[in-house]
Amino acid sequence: MSFLNLDHLQKSFGSTKVVHDFNLNVEKGEFVSFLGPSGCGKTTVLRMVAGFEEPSVGRILIDGQDVTRLRPNQRQIGMVFQAYALFPNLTVADNVGFGLKVAGVPRAERAGRVTEMLELIGLPEMGARFPWQLSGGQQQRVALARALAPRPRVLLLDEPLSALDAKIRVSLRNQIREIQQQLGITTIFVTHDQEEALSISDRIVVMHKGIADQTGTPRQIYNQPATDFVAGFVGTLNRFDAEVLDAPTGRLRVAGTEFALGRAVPSAVSLAARPEGLSLADDGIPAEVTGVEFLGSVQRLRMRVAGREIVLDRFNAPSAALPEPGEAVHISTQGSSWLVLPHGA
Amino acid sequence: MKRIWSWGAIVFGGLYFLLPLIGTVEFSLRMRRGEYSLDAYRSVLADPQFRATFSYSVVMALLTIVLGVLIVVPTAYWVRLRLPRLRPVIEFITLLPLVIPAIVVVFGYIRLYNTSSILPLTGTASGTNLLLLCGYATLALPYMYRAVDTGLSTLDVRSLTEAAQSLGAGWTRIIGSLILPNVLGAVMSGAFLSFAIVIGEFTMAALLNRPAFGPYMQLLGANRAYEPAALAVIAFAATWGCMGVMQLISRLAGVRKTAK
Repeated sequence: MSFLNLDHLQKSFGSTKVVHDFNLNVEKGEFVSFLGPSGCGKTTVLRMVAGFEEPSVGRILIDGQDVTRLRPNQRQIGMVFQAYALFPNLTVADNVGFGLKVAGVPRAERAGRVTEMLELIGLPEMGARFPWQLSGGQQQRVALARALAPRPRVLLLDEPLSALDAKIRVSLRNQIREIQQQLGITTIFVTHDQEEALSISDRIVVMHKGIADQTGTPRQIYNQPATDFVAGFVGTLNRFDAEVLDAPTGRLRVAGTEFALGRAVPSAVSLAARPEGLSLADDGIPAEVTGVEFLGSVQRLRMRVAGREIVLDRFNAPSAALPEPGEAVHISTQGSSWLVLPHGA
Repeated sequence: MKRIWSWGAIVFGGLYFLLPLIGTVEFSLRMRRGEYSLDAYRSVLADPQFRATFSYSVVMALLTIVLGVLIVVPTAYWVRLRLPRLRPVIEFITLLPLVIPAIVVVFGYIRLYNTSSILPLTGTASGTNLLLLCGYATLALPYMYRAVDTGLSTLDVRSLTEAAQSLGAGWTRIIGSLILPNVLGAVMSGAFLSFAIVIGEFTMAALLNRPAFGPYMQLLGANRAYEPAALAVIAFAATWGCMGVMQLISRLAGVRKTAK
């Protein structure tokens, strides 16, 4: 029995169904991200766990206890919001101590816990300030401390980094992950940013139109996408028109070049590859270079293969010459990592 | 050139507001023939009726503010949080007291709560006071609601509520220790208007036959020459004084600047 169970959750608003049959088991101390475009239902699932929305169908269990009908303030869940939602009339210390005060924790014990939390987020000097005196990143750290102070059973993060600028986003996400691992708290993190999800999660649930398309580790999601949507949403994906010549041996024809994958494929497939999974060779699939971008550590080549735009990334090597736009090159059929996706999935 | 026009506007506005006041003050000092004196003021202040009616109205005004806050803050909060589509309807309802004359409201009260009705509030002094209090709260509703609603619009009501709920807080605590302190500035401006309305209100108090300041002013105005002017000046000063005290208390109670 895992720690948090989401059992056949469904949610409709009026006649629109935003979450279809969502199932997930989260282990204690696990960090799970919900990743998907806006409107995919990820926030709705999170809000059902928090108790702000009631599932139309299904059950939510925390540590074996059915909390589906409990009110949000009875669930012992910590939540961090995109908009920080710090209480403007309270100081940072009072914000962090709010949950403890509600729970009736004595003043002295509360003060100790607040100090501890402010140290945890690296803002030990800020207790007496008001939220508006802090930067966005600091406010969000305070919001995290406030959510964690009453020792919740589950921590919910609703796009906590989206309102911050890029540099702070990266440092704060690392800090969130560190604190999460230090406390061993079961966490659900909602985001539409794949890099965020890939970098800090134990597992990712990729959601699409109210359904969990794939649940897996970041490596699984990226390297073995289960559906066309997952492949396209997570990372950049190059697609090739492939004709299956022999399904059992995986013999394909792409842009006039025949080659075998050496594994069985369905009778109709769509062939794809990540930009860094492609490599150039002396022979293979013919391509025409249309553009070259030098990004420092990476060379990005834009190419055209049988009318489709393809991107190939390779590490910079000082000795290797860059191809010129207009040059004819070949994409290696053997040295590339191909993804075979079910057709039309 | 532009500056001249703006100064002109300020001077015009100043004269518009100050001239009548100056005229009243000047007139109130002319009770003794041929020289300026404070005789009219002495006469007003010596009247025990003045003190009784004025303190009655001050108490009623403060109670009106409390009642108004208790009704308006939770309502405006709930409408913003859960019933945003009802907002125009609620706003319309709160504006009704501006459209319906006080005399209509008070006749309605008298018909509904007279001594032969199920709830004979007009039968006792305290019942009538309660009725008057409700009438005052109704009159103050448009100002109170607008002020509080504007105050709420500067808050992310939904996120704050959800954050508090996830931390275990119930409704009373959310409204009492989060929403109210954050709209206290707006509540105070609504309170000032309520105070000013109640202090000078005549119709309701007169028809319910309560010893309020409005009917007293009217009575004095109908019977004396110089005292009404002195009374107006005193009432003016006292009202401003009360508002100043309220402002001070709210400052001391810790209204914090919500600088953005």
